[in-house]
Amino acid sequence: MADVAAPTDDELDALIEARLRLVGVDLAQLPTTEDPTTGSPTREEALTYLRSVLRNTAVTLSGWSPPPDDPALAQQVAPPALYPSSTDAWTGRGLA
Amino acid sequence: MSIDDGLSRRLFLARLSALAAGATGSALLPGVASAATTAPPTLVDVDAPDGATTDPTSLTVAEAATLIRRGKLTSEELVRACLERIEGYDSLFQAFNLVLADAALARARQLDGSSPRTALHGIPLAIKDNYFSRGVRTTANSFIFADFEPPYDATALSRLEAAGGVMIGKTQMGPLATTRATTPAGVITTVNAWAPDHPNINPGGSSTGSATATATGMALSSVGTQTGGSITAPSNAQGLTGLKPTMGRVSLHGIIPLTFTRDHPGPIARDAMDCAIMLTAMAGPDPADFRTLGLPQLPDLTRAATPVRQGGQTVLRRRTRIGVTPDFLASSNPETAAARRSYLDALAGLRHATVVEVPLPAEWDLLTGTAFNNVRLPERTEPFREYLRQDLQLFGVSVLNWLGGLLLSGDEYLTGQRAKVVMFERVMDEVFDACDVVVQAQPVPFDIIGLPEIGFPIGLRAATSDTPVLPIGTILGGQPYAEDRLLEVVAAYQDVTDWHRRRPELPPAPAASAAPRAPSLAPARLSALEAARIGQ
Repeated sequence: MADVAAPTDDELDALIEARLRLVGVDLAQLPTTEDPTTGSPTREEALTYLRSVLRNTAVTLSGWSPPPDDPALAQQVAPPALYPSSTDAWTGRGLA
Repeated sequence: MSIDDGLSRRLFLARLSALAAGATGSALLPGVASAATTAPPTLVDVDAPDGATTDPTSLTVAEAATLIRRGKLTSEELVRACLERIEGYDSLFQAFNLVLADAALARARQLDGSSPRTALHGIPLAIKDNYFSRGVRTTANSFIFADFEPPYDATALSRLEAAGGVMIGKTQMGPLATTRATTPAGVITTVNAWAPDHPNINPGGSSTGSATATATGMALSSVGTQTGGSITAPSNAQGLTGLKPTMGRVSLHGIIPLTFTRDHPGPIARDAMDCAIMLTAMAGPDPADFRTLGLPQLPDLTRAATPVRQGGQTVLRRRTRIGVTPDFLASSNPETAAARRSYLDALAGLRHATVVEVPLPAEWDLLTGTAFNNVRLPERTEPFREYLRQDLQLFGVSVLNWLGGLLLSGDEYLTGQRAKVVMFERVMDEVFDACDVVVQAQPVPFDIIGLPEIGFPIGLRAATSDTPVLPIGTILGGQPYAEDRLLEVVAAYQDVTDWHRRRPELPPAPAASAAPRAPSLAPARLSALEAARIGQ
């Protein structure tokens, strides 16, 4: 895998705010200090949490694939299923 | 003629609706789900313990229904007793968002005027506030739904009422079904029935109010929803028995979504039999929710929950292998570890039971950990995008998870769905190859893959200088649509133990107290970051 520099906090903040603005969501609606009336996080707390989602969740998911290790063979197993237990009943056992 | 000739989608759906309407003798309205069940449930007579009839709120559903059928108790008497408990104690326990006293009494009187032929005839039930209730405010404890009055009932609620259940109120819950019950702004509301003076002791979430109402006798049973442990956790925390059925067993139509692929409606009750009665009423195909169609028929759950005795001894109804994973006895709490050992010993002592060691599937910690659990986030975001655009503060303390869902890419979401398939296959092939049911150290893995779980009590933790006596619970998981096997095992266990009969000792009613109560110092609210970390 190519050696790619990890993004900085500032870069992630720019990504987050741009992504949210792209679909019409504005983090500026969040308060700058604690707001006990609504319980809303501050904008800075939201960015902290969202950076963590990108650094941990997105990276972990992106780095995983079903076995076997050979990607050409991994493509052939485990097609996505939203409801594996229901699909199992609908198809009569055996999803992979 | 090709296979798709002659049966249009419209005709197919119309036939499904006609079938359902035929079963109830009523026509279906658009958006209104059927109250049909597949077969009339078995009615089981269960005698109340000596003395229990002096306090009808202490009865199980099965005991109360039996007394009503025998003419020894009326629904009105039972509902009034629960309403008196609510009036006396809900300022302390804060289990309800809304109490429907007049409507419940009117319904009870109506039922008392008819022959009790249904399993829940006249039984007061507490309903989590994310179930649509026609014309009755349904808030999910969120600013978003503060004034929402649904135009129809959730299918599960209409079925409970068709079975004779009486909705006594809508219960407190984690905002949008995430954490333990708090206000939308994160201020802690419902407390644990066993520890009303200790709001820092977790009562389990997010179906908190339903559990506390059931544990304190404000209702005889209740319903919750589970996405990440929200039926089994409050059941475990409050000495109750809660059954999260397999995905699709109970319709989600008319329940405010948290995570489409992981939301499971189910009962929170006082024992296995009550879970069986409640789930039998709630379950079944619903034309309004395709996830309920084409599934194995619901087994006779009340039969499954009826203990079997041979030669004076309790035996399992079928030979059953009970799987124990390596993490189960590794609890860091010595009382929990001891209770789990005693529980396994009790199971091993039942004829027809075999306790076997089973492995945890490969990559278990990874695929059930935080990152893969977070695959659920886009599912909570998608149906709420318009509200996110409108005003983030509508989400109160819960907004972070909904924002997080906007950041995962489509390919990462699909990776999560492929991981679910891998996990499901490994559980079926590596775990259930060696056992029929399996202990669960935590509920989330079976929530991810939609398998059934039942939570129930196995002991009590001794009081300390800081904490009162508290229940110890456990979770048992089963194979797809095998809720009957879970009930068989728990019914037999509950026939040889009495943990499920232990009730919290109620303090003097607040109104009658001579001195004001003094809650211990405790976090009065959850922060948004805490809510994001612990939310189901």
